[in-house]
Amino acid sequence: MDLRAGDSWGMLACLCTVLWHLPAVPALNRTGDPGPGPSIQKTYDLTRYLEHQLRSLAGTYLNYLGPPFNEPDFNPPRLGAETLPRATVNLDVWRSLNDKLRLTQNYEAYSHLLCYLRGLNRQAATGELRRSLAHFCTSLQGLLGSIAGVMAALGYPLPQPLPGTEPTWAPGPAHSDFLQKMDDFWLLKELQTWLWRSAKDFNRLKKKMQPPAAAVTLHLEAHGF
Amino acid sequence: MMLQIWLVQALVVFLTTQCIGELVDTCGVISPESPVIQHGSNFTAFCVLNEKCMSIYEVNASHIIWKANRVLIPKEQYTIINTTTSSVTFTNTSLTNVQLICNILAFGQIEMNIYGVRMRTGFPPEKPKNLTCIVNEGKRMMCQWDPGRETHLETNFTVKSEWATEKFEDCKAKPETPTSCIVEYSPVYFVNIEVWVEAQNALGKVASDHINFDPVDKVKPNPPRNLSVSNSEELSSILKLTWINPSIMNVMRLKYDIHYKTKDASTWSQIPPEDTATTRTSFTVQDLKPFTEYVFRIRCMKGDGKGFWSDWSEDARGVTYEARPSKAPSFWYKIPSHTQGSRSVQLIWKTLPPSEANGKILDYEVTLTRWKSRSQNYTVNDTNLTVNLTNDRYIATLAARNLVGKSDASVLTIPACDFQATHPITDLKAYPKDNMLWVEWTPPGKAVRKYILEWCVLSDKSPCIPDWQQESGIVRRTYLRGELLGSKCYLITVTPVYSDGPGSPESTKAYLKQAPPSKGPTVRTKKVGKNEAVLQWDQLPVDVQNGFIRNYTIFYRTIIGNETAVNVDSSHTEYTLTSLNSDTLYMVRMTAYTDEGGKDGPEFTFTTPKFAQGEIEAIVVPVCLAFLLTTLLGVLFCFNKRDLIKKHIWPNVPDPSKSHIAQWSPHTPPRHNFNSKDQIYSDGNFTDVSVVEIEANDKKPFPEDLKSLDLFKKEKISTEGHSSGIGGSSCMSSSRPSISSGDENESAQNTSSTVQYSTVVHSGYRHQVPSVQVFSRSESTQPLLDSEERPEDLQLVDNVDSGDGILPQQQYFKQNCHQPKTSPDISHFERSKQVSSSNEEDFLRLKQQQISDPISQSCGAEQMKMFQGVSTTDVFGSETEAPAERLETAGMEAAVDEGMPKSYLPQTVRQGGYVPQ
Repeated sequence: MDLRAGDSWGMLACLCTVLWHLPAVPALNRTGDPGPGPSIQKTYDLTRYLEHQLRSLAGTYLNYLGPPFNEPDFNPPRLGAETLPRATVNLDVWRSLNDKLRLTQNYEAYSHLLCYLRGLNRQAATGELRRSLAHFCTSLQGLLGSIAGVMAALGYPLPQPLPGTEPTWAPGPAHSDFLQKMDDFWLLKELQTWLWRSAKDFNRLKKKMQPPAAAVTLHLEAHGF
Repeated sequence: MMLQIWLVQALVVFLTTQCIGELVDTCGVISPESPVIQHGSNFTAFCVLNEKCMSIYEVNASHIIWKANRVLIPKEQYTIINTTTSSVTFTNTSLTNVQLICNILAFGQIEMNIYGVRMRTGFPPEKPKNLTCIVNEGKRMMCQWDPGRETHLETNFTVKSEWATEKFEDCKAKPETPTSCIVEYSPVYFVNIEVWVEAQNALGKVASDHINFDPVDKVKPNPPRNLSVSNSEELSSILKLTWINPSIMNVMRLKYDIHYKTKDASTWSQIPPEDTATTRTSFTVQDLKPFTEYVFRIRCMKGDGKGFWSDWSEDARGVTYEARPSKAPSFWYKIPSHTQGSRSVQLIWKTLPPSEANGKILDYEVTLTRWKSRSQNYTVNDTNLTVNLTNDRYIATLAARNLVGKSDASVLTIPACDFQATHPITDLKAYPKDNMLWVEWTPPGKAVRKYILEWCVLSDKSPCIPDWQQESGIVRRTYLRGELLGSKCYLITVTPVYSDGPGSPESTKAYLKQAPPSKGPTVRTKKVGKNEAVLQWDQLPVDVQNGFIRNYTIFYRTIIGNETAVNVDSSHTEYTLTSLNSDTLYMVRMTAYTDEGGKDGPEFTFTTPKFAQGEIEAIVVPVCLAFLLTTLLGVLFCFNKRDLIKKHIWPNVPDPSKSHIAQWSPHTPPRHNFNSKDQIYSDGNFTDVSVVEIEANDKKPFPEDLKSLDLFKKEKISTEGHSSGIGGSSCMSSSRPSISSGDENESAQNTSSTVQYSTVVHSGYRHQVPSVQVFSRSESTQPLLDSEERPEDLQLVDNVDSGDGILPQQQYFKQNCHQPKTSPDISHFERSKQVSSSNEEDFLRLKQQQISDPISQSCGAEQMKMFQGVSTTDVFGSETEAPAERLETAGMEAAVDEGMPKSYLPQTVRQGGYVPQ
């Protein structure tokens, strides 16, 4: 954003333009809707909250899986779990993503992850762990709803769920117990990575949505002069 | 297969209903079966009879009667629909619970119950209002609402919640808590949720407004934990707080609310909220007092202010570090003793209050500096120091010391011994206000360094133990900082202190709180008059006054009368009640009043006297004086007119000296000693009576004689047989004077037979020859005394008498004439001589006395007394009359006295036959 570099008149012009076009922004055009800004902020907070939540949940779950999964330096190569959406991406590629694609990727990833997580929940042995996982699932579903809300606010269509990607996380006979645990491990790890990434995504999106507010501030300052 | 099952079921149901129908078949039914009616609406119930009953009991719908709670419903409310159905209509139903029964009158008269239903009345639910939800950290979300009015029916509340994409489980409120519900799931923060509540009962269903919120905005966090306080040695005014945030801190930013107070304070102070608006785990509180214990507490909430404050954390305590004492201690001195050349001075000071001590006071440093000499230093732990000083001027300084440092020094000038205090304060006033005793004064013209206020309780029982306090020189008004008691008199002294020493003190008295006196004054009378009484009382002792005595009231009354009250100024101790009734019992009591009320003293009674003081005297004294005066005047009068009185009162004792007999017998032997009784009694005879027998024809009886004779006759009768010669003679003599006087009145000196000395017994007396008795006697009884003592004289007279009737009388008087010293009869004699010689008038007077004499003397049985009485009268008479003459006579007659008596003695012996009978 180059607005900060411009002079005050330029700012004012920009502000006027933005304000003029503000009613035209689809996301803001809905009556009673506070706009995408709060939603994005909330989604960002939610990712942070889920990240925090997952940290304790993962600790509990990895302990439940037992060693070596609960060891701090356990870092196995990612062999299986190809079906899991991969969060890691080239930085340049990530930067070049537009908002729609970025939100769509997030939405799709969490949709998949949620399915897998529900499978995890079904396997969980202890009640306490199951409750934590259930709550996390609910929260993740909330995130999914939030992302959908943001996308709706920004006027992007929700991606159609791919047929066949629905609950496919079933303990297959090919998986050994260790490999299954490995899948669980990778699910949690990928979930964590995605939450980091989403935090960054929504932070970026949040900053991107802030300019009008900044312009208002600048306008007030200019008026003060 | 299915069909078969259905058939079986249908059969069972049919059979069952048949059986039941047979068992509990009724004559009719009410519809609706269990009605629920909205309050205030109309309601109609129908009773339908079955045909069987109608025929059995011969009834139709017109025989139906309705009862509500066993009370007959008026027939106006009935409607007969047809022969089998009757309806009843209720308008504006208000009863909440009604038992409605349909009856028939069987055979037109027997009442039978047909069917009954219970009607319930209530309201449809109102739309729940004020739905709010709260998320207690770590717990589930709870929503609560206002259900509106009471429905009187069973009403269910259900909290419904959903996301845009997902519905959550309903939360059904429990019957015991119909206004709140705790949802089953943990809320998901940062995702908006829509919540509403539905209320439903038999009369309807209604939903509240939907609320849409992010649960994170409804969070009530847990309070911060492990709050601790630490102080700083560098800064005594700060304390640092540290704590552990609740775990919700990971989800949201927090802001804090920190409260603090000193240990004993009741209200909390707040740290400005803007200083604690961000998430943190410690905070440093500034501007605290040194060496003071503070209490802290903290709470938190979401940083943007949405949600709820957490509960308060547990209190944490901390003490700030010490600082140097901020003020110099109050400093004063007393001089308990003073001797020639030196004085003992007690320096006293007050401990600093904790707010000024700023730490634990370790000790006090005192310096004493005599004028232009080295100072002496003392370190004292106590709050006083006694030193011996010379009479010079000293400067004393005092500083308090604690761990950190030393206070400023208090400076006090102890003036020289000959210092004269001046410049007192003026207009000193003390008054209570707001339960404190305030002291106010006008400063003197001179610059005051400080004021010292001393006060103590005035009491008769305990000495004045003063407390004191110091005020700075600019203070004009202060209150006494001490534990003062009500109803105690405080003596307050204010002393201004100048740079050169203390000024003159000024004192006043005050009460913190007055009360009525605990004892009333005891009144007594000082003086009680006929119409007034002076009352007196003592001032009440200060211990019972309980306040300033403003005035007294004296109440006084009689037993029956109304009470009268008199107000008396408090300065008096005496009062005079006036206009009292005399001889009346009065009851008087006194009340002493302070500003707060009065107290009665004991009742005192007194009685006013009948007469005023001096009234009796005023009456008695003049009366006595008058009496005295009268008596005196009377005496004086009597004295002056004694002769006249004497003439009237005393008997006329014949004066033998005036008797002619005295002149007749110049040989009358000289007078003998009166006291020579031995001679008289030696003879063993009473020979002093001479009996002269005179022939009846010797004398011519006078009418007076006849009278005397009669009298004598009477006497004779009474004394007959035992009267002595003397008695007889005396009686005769007593009657005789009147004869003789009468005789003498006629013929003075030359009377031949009338004057007789003694009783003249008729010759027939001895021989009991009744004949006319003639009495003759001497005019005086006095010679009887002489004859008593000197029987020879009488003898002589006897002899004379026997010879001649006249001569013996003269003889006798001569005899008397010769004893001038021993006998008072001299005067008589003397006078008689004078009378006989020249004075006719005197003689006449004497005769009168002689006449009165027998009258004054009784002539009964006491003849002896008569003799004595006559002689004494003579003595009196002689002495008062003319003593000078008597002396003269004595000298003249002295020669005659000697040698004469002897010649009579033989005669006395000779006369033995004259012994009285």
